Amino acid sequence: MSLDRFPPLISAQLHYLLAHYPDIIKVEHTWSGSKYNSGIHDRFTLLIPYCLDYLKWDVLYNVDSPLAPPDVIFGPDDEDFHPLLGLDGVGDLVLEKSSLCDWNNQDPRRLLALIVELRKKYMAYQRNRVGAVDDDRLKFEISTFGSREVIFRTQFERMLNIPLSCNASYNISLKTPVTLLQGIEMHMSSGFEKPEEVKFAVPLLDMNINKMVLACPWRYPQKIYLQVVYPVTRKYGSAPSAPRLKLMSTPDLKELFSIEDVKLPPWVDGMCMAEYLPPLEELLQRQVVEAVTSIDARRCFIEALVPWFGRPLEADSVFCRKVSFLAASGVFTFLVHFFLGTQFPKQQPVLILQSTQHFNMHGTPVKSTPLSEYPWSPRWEASQMAERMYDFLADESHNFKKYCSEYHLQQ
Amino acid sequence: MDDLPLEKIAISGPTLASMMQRLSSSRGDVDGLLFGHVTRITPSTLSDDTSPSFDGPSDSSHLVATVTSFLCPSSSPLSFYDSLGRLNAPSLSRLLPSPSSSAIAADGGSHFLGWLSFRRRSQTRPSMREYSVSHSLSRSSHLSFPVANSETAPVTLTPCIFLLFATPVHDQAIHTHDYRAYQFRLSTTSFEPKPIDIVNIGPAFRGHYESFSPNSAFPMLNCEMRGSSSPMVEEDRSAEEQKQLDLCAEGFDVGDLKRLMGVEATGYTRGLEDLYEKMLVKIDGLARQVESSNAQVIEQEKRIKDLRYKAAARSGAE
Repeated sequence: MSLDRFPPLISAQLHYLLAHYPDIIKVEHTWSGSKYNSGIHDRFTLLIPYCLDYLKWDVLYNVDSPLAPPDVIFGPDDEDFHPLLGLDGVGDLVLEKSSLCDWNNQDPRRLLALIVELRKKYMAYQRNRVGAVDDDRLKFEISTFGSREVIFRTQFERMLNIPLSCNASYNISLKTPVTLLQGIEMHMSSGFEKPEEVKFAVPLLDMNINKMVLACPWRYPQKIYLQVVYPVTRKYGSAPSAPRLKLMSTPDLKELFSIEDVKLPPWVDGMCMAEYLPPLEELLQRQVVEAVTSIDARRCFIEALVPWFGRPLEADSVFCRKVSFLAASGVFTFLVHFFLGTQFPKQQPVLILQSTQHFNMHGTPVKSTPLSEYPWSPRWEASQMAERMYDFLADESHNFKKYCSEYHLQQ
Repeated sequence: MDDLPLEKIAISGPTLASMMQRLSSSRGDVDGLLFGHVTRITPSTLSDDTSPSFDGPSDSSHLVATVTSFLCPSSSPLSFYDSLGRLNAPSLSRLLPSPSSSAIAADGGSHFLGWLSFRRRSQTRPSMREYSVSHSLSRSSHLSFPVANSETAPVTLTPCIFLLFATPVHDQAIHTHDYRAYQFRLSTTSFEPKPIDIVNIGPAFRGHYESFSPNSAFPMLNCEMRGSSSPMVEEDRSAEEQKQLDLCAEGFDVGDLKRLMGVEATGYTRGLEDLYEKMLVKIDGLARQVESSNAQVIEQEKRIKDLRYKAAARSGAE
């Protein structure tokens, strides 16, 4: 998405937003609202992560009034979301102090402050909506969230070293690196011909995964969430059906740990989240720690390969998931790519051989199919693993050489 | 301040057309004020059946708002409110007719009904600020106006109407404009979509003739300060105007016109022709002045536009 069609003041704000927003925020579509200058863009759609989904908000600037504050159009399902009015009940709505108050388009931080403020208000708005649902089970579940959130809140305050009072948030967002409050996000989905559902995004594990990885390359803190979707049941007495559960994580985490491999514990009838979450967190914690120790096991294995294969051509030095060596059998030289799983050494590495001398008709090198059928035991020492693999490859290189020359003859 | 539901919002074809012309000729986004009147319509679905269920206060919903004129004060938005949608009272009162003239206008039914917003290439949903502006207007009881034909106790409404104009986000060759009408209801603090009834000439619109009073208000050029229209000042002003008029007449007295009659007339024609010629010269001079000052205005506007785009086109420089 090219952002260079914006006039400088808007461009500066947008770039600041994209660079400093504490989560992945995307610009989906940009366009112009000017009659004569359709080449200069002043409107865009932002995709803002919320509750494991995205909010799609249109931000409208005005290229003809470069100093005017922007306006926002929210999604079609959020017609009742009015962030400029306070949330203090139905009676007397008072316009709240907002970052739009003394808007200054020349300050590049303003758009970021506005989006953070609006998202925070959106969270409160959804919370109010969910809280107003007449469902006994939901009411109970929400009442148990308090204790979980206190933990996350204190963790957040420790990170920022300042007590968070509600009215100080605007100043914080301008002066310190912005961090979103790690609370339980909720979303009430309802609409014409749609079943009423309440979705929760529960952040799991009170630990900083980024810190556990040596030389961590991740820009955003990696988190694991449990998505819980409750169908709303208004009838009293009828047994509430089990919620739909799904584990989700921030995208970069899959380098370290694949949440698809986690088998969720079963949800027993009559269970509540306060009961379900602690065993799940324990399980996850164990698996994340295992995944981190697996990095060391992979590193040892790669180091053990060096005496047999020589220095690697290329190696993933952070997660140790991938390493490539140059090998030769007589005059036939080829590359060996090792792919190591997140559950190494339980999972044995996958090998791909690549010829340096044979190419297909598109000019790309000939490669073997992924090899994973060879003698392996997770209980071997790293040096023994390396030795066994070397032996296997010594044999396999003949097959691969034959395969390459046959392939070459066919063309 | 009553929060009564409107049945529909009526607007005459020419008014809507000139509104759209004004909006689509603008460079960017525009907002403006809507004027007109709200009338209570007696349901015309009377039948011989005198069942009592049709009687009673049920006809309170038959309120029709008719938009007769509009005012788009400037080519940039935020003309009478701030970034949060709070009303800017001084600029709003500058745009609204002064109380004395609105008293006259009240017969013609030109009340401040609400506002309109036009934004090119955007969704036809009220935005965050538009909601806030309508909310502020609906809460302003000092802006309330009476409903015409209210038989019972006098009923008033606040400027609760909102017309939203937009063009499609993605370019479309045929479809060019979208518009929607809303009434802001304080009881629910939300916009209620209302049907727009375009009043036109034709047999199907016969029913409108009873209720519709077309009125082409003279454009409001009232820029005077508010509260300065006490009788004393009024007299001063008329004396001032008389003095200016005398200056133009250049000693020609109205009494002299009597000489046009009778025997004196033949001798007097010359004098009258002189006056006429002088006036023609003066008008010509004025026309030239207007022409040159208009040229200057256009020149200035062009310069402003150039500067604006120069600022805007430094794209990517930062």
